[in-house]
Amino acid sequence: MTSLVRANGVSKHFGSVRAVDDVSFEIEKGKIMGLIGPNGAGKTTLLKAVLGLTDCRGDLSVLGLDPFRQRKQLMQNISFIADVAVLPRWITVTRLIDFIETTHPNFSRSRAEELLRETKVRKDAKVRELSKGMITQLHLSIIMAIDAKLLVLDEPTLGLDIIFRKEFYGNLVNDYFDGERTILITTHQVEEIENLLTDIMFINEGKILLDSPMDALADSYTELMTSGENAMKARGLGPIAENEMFGKSIFLYEGLSRENLEGLGELRTPSVADLFVAKVKGARQ
Amino acid sequence: MIRNQLALIRREVWEHRAIYVTPAAIAIIVSLLTLTGQVSVSAFGEAVDLAIVGASNVDEDHRRVVMMALFGVVTSIFSLGAWIVMVFYSLDALYAERKDKSILFWRSLPITDAETVISKLITALLVIPLVFLAAVVVTHLIILILTTIWIEIQGGDSGVLLWGSAPFFDAWAAFLIIAIAYPLWLAPLVGWFLFVSAYTKRSPLLMASLPLLIVPMLEKMLIGTHLFWDAIFVRTFRPPLTRFDVSELFDEDTAFEVAQQNVSLLAAIDIGRFLGSPSLWGGLVVCGLLTAAAVYVRRYRDES
Repeated sequence: MTSLVRANGVSKHFGSVRAVDDVSFEIEKGKIMGLIGPNGAGKTTLLKAVLGLTDCRGDLSVLGLDPFRQRKQLMQNISFIADVAVLPRWITVTRLIDFIETTHPNFSRSRAEELLRETKVRKDAKVRELSKGMITQLHLSIIMAIDAKLLVLDEPTLGLDIIFRKEFYGNLVNDYFDGERTILITTHQVEEIENLLTDIMFINEGKILLDSPMDALADSYTELMTSGENAMKARGLGPIAENEMFGKSIFLYEGLSRENLEGLGELRTPSVADLFVAKVKGARQ
Repeated sequence: MIRNQLALIRREVWEHRAIYVTPAAIAIIVSLLTLTGQVSVSAFGEAVDLAIVGASNVDEDHRRVVMMALFGVVTSIFSLGAWIVMVFYSLDALYAERKDKSILFWRSLPITDAETVISKLITALLVIPLVFLAAVVVTHLIILILTTIWIEIQGGDSGVLLWGSAPFFDAWAAFLIIAIAYPLWLAPLVGWFLFVSAYTKRSPLLMASLPLLIVPMLEKMLIGTHLFWDAIFVRTFRPPLTRFDVSELFDEDTAFEVAQQNVSLLAAIDIGRFLGSPSLWGGLVVCGLLTAAAVYVRRYRDES
């Protein structure tokens, strides 16, 4: 069994709001899965279900465990960073490491200290004395020192400047990801992570709009930039989205082979952001 | 399991510095008062010719009662402090982590909600009282040492006047039993505070105290009985721990006599009566239910 996460008909309703609505997907070992969705799409609720922080309906299995009922075992093999900086502000770096060393069987103190030496985080500092960027560095150093099968990151770089964000993802890919581990990540800033993802999933209003390996996107989706008469023809081929830019029309096609579009204009693979907008708008119509 | 529990309890002490700062502060203040008291009382020379507790012009019986009373008063000051720290600690224990969202971090570790809540209950019921007890014993020793020095300077025999006159170890053993037993008696209140701390969205102190006042009032007005009032307030101050009625100590007519008869506090403690009290076990059951409710709330409520 290589599926680390297996969801089948998973739902979570809050009153009449369907935060997650009959969702099915699988995440295989060794993947970096991006979960992309607008605010309120159900991303965080879905992650919470995966992490066993909230109960849900349907079949959900993570590392072969029921995440809500077997949370303690699950947490030995999962680490996560939530969307808000959540390290307790009163604790010192050393005590934080002491505590995790005692309570987490898969935590390596020497690895955490090694990672921290590369940052400006002082070991005797309290978390409240650190800048937001440094807190994230500290959190990431701790998380990367845990030998986890699945790492879940919910908007890990929210509120950080561009330098920290680049560094964060750089560290993640270079120092952590080894093809054995699996990462599930959500973010708004999809441009920054699209190059490191192996798989992508779009979610909107609790439903999955797209679930695909990144390298399959080029086969399934084509963007055409054209104008004038060709634009009329292009429109007839059933694009899933159309935009205007600099007097040109940009069409997005799904499942249409490139041969059909040859000669109509400039062809390329759409960016994840454009694809995402097209999918969400398409779902609303 | 025990490893996690010890780490969790140590974390509570790291976070809530009041657990050790408060008793240390009380110890310093009481010691300073003893020193200045020693000096100022001695200035009157005639009334108490050596020092407060080791006065040679007071007969042995009175000296013993005075000394035990002084130790008792010092212990009560610490007990009041311990009670205040215990209340504020248990109200904060499951509230602060939600307020600053650090609960999301704590819950990312392989620790169950039950383990966490139990560590907070143990901290409130056992760790805080024992830390305060340690401070009590240290303060008593400081008082004894200061008084010894004073008596020796004045030319008295501290061995007879002070050390030989009262059963200190007996008293400390008794205080240890009380420090373990009395919090168990108060357990239902602590359980209530922990539950409110886990449940409330704002001002835990207010949310915890209002029902404690309103429910007995409503009961009195609507039904005319005072069961809740007795269960919450009267019960709290009457643990069935001693062979005599503690309230006699506060009555001028009986105080000295009762104190004199019970110089050995240890002999006055009645563990059998305490353990045989249905009210103790009822209270522990209530505490258990409220603690389970706190675990449930921490586990099932969505914190987004």
